[in-house]
Amino acid sequence: MNPATPSSLRENALTVATVLARWFLGGFFIYMGLSKALHPVEFLKLVRQYDLVQNHLALNLIAAGLPWLEIFFGLLLLLGVAVRGSALMLVAMLVPFTGIILRRALAVYSAGGIAFCAIKFDCGCGTGEVFICWKLVENSLLILLSLALLFWRSRALCWRHSLIGSD
Amino acid sequence: MHQAKQVLIEGLLLLALGGALALAANFISPRGLALTRNYFPGGSRPTLSLAGTQAATAARGTHAITVSPAEIIIARLKAKGLEVVDSNQVVQIFRDPRREQELFIFIDSRAEAHYLEGHVPGAYLFDHYRAENYLATVLPACRTADKILVYCSGGPCEDSEFAAVILSDAGVPKEKLRVYPGGFGEWTTNGLPVETGERNSHLGRPAKP
Repeated sequence: MNPATPSSLRENALTVATVLARWFLGGFFIYMGLSKALHPVEFLKLVRQYDLVQNHLALNLIAAGLPWLEIFFGLLLLLGVAVRGSALMLVAMLVPFTGIILRRALAVYSAGGIAFCAIKFDCGCGTGEVFICWKLVENSLLILLSLALLFWRSRALCWRHSLIGSD
Repeated sequence: MHQAKQVLIEGLLLLALGGALALAANFISPRGLALTRNYFPGGSRPTLSLAGTQAATAARGTHAITVSPAEIIIARLKAKGLEVVDSNQVVQIFRDPRREQELFIFIDSRAEAHYLEGHVPGAYLFDHYRAENYLATVLPACRTADKILVYCSGGPCEDSEFAAVILSDAGVPKEKLRVYPGGFGEWTTNGLPVETGERNSHLGRPAKP
């Protein structure tokens, strides 16, 4: 029996961390996506509050599509299918969305005269009304976890880690 | 570099596939949105509904003027040609004998779940996001009524405004329509009677003395 070397211990720890991060992110996005997909009108109203698009078709597409996309990427992460592609798409969704929340929070801060961390609203994230400070921290952690899945190469408990190239 | 390109292509493929599946899921879902429909008719800008800030500040020249969200909504309703009623007027309309004859009617523009929890006694349910489910019942009542009072939750809620615009677009004369910006929130705060369950169920609670 070979004794465990520091490098193999590190590798095992990274493997466990990758699997846990994947399952956590997958479960989180399935939950968040479902909470919006089951109440699309509520989500539509919240998306409208951000005043992102003027065209109603574009607004409807965002509100109708985004929750199911979250569920889709969540399922892929949970099953370990196309992990890096899914993680990349989550980063691509999370970064602008976090920026939009921050922009709205700053608008409230400049108009309302209250402490930034006392600002609270329903950001349309699927968790109802939240303190925005906490939401920004949470989103930053989600971005970091998604980035980690982009760079960690562990294929443990993955059904098909990559769809393109060798798996 | 090659790996990065592979991940990018994989991500874009997933986005295309996920987008197609998302649209299919929305289409199949009984709660799905109608993509081509304008759920917010009238072209108004969204009103920020922010806890923690009760007012929006507008700067005019060198003076800073604080305008409450309710005032913004009232100004917008008036600009759209919709008459607004306050809490006193709404009580007068409710107590008018013509309400019993369905000449004065109330329209609740909130979601069905909220309506069933409690509404103005005798009010018609008209969740405008699912207008097709309610128009067959609401439109005949609107045609025979002289005065139609539309309300939602109150505060920053805009659903009464959109419901009024949809009714107007469906042929109900604007002169008949009144919007109650105080909404059901103000109604209950003022201790007015509340009916629960279906319309005319006569369940619920009477007015508080």
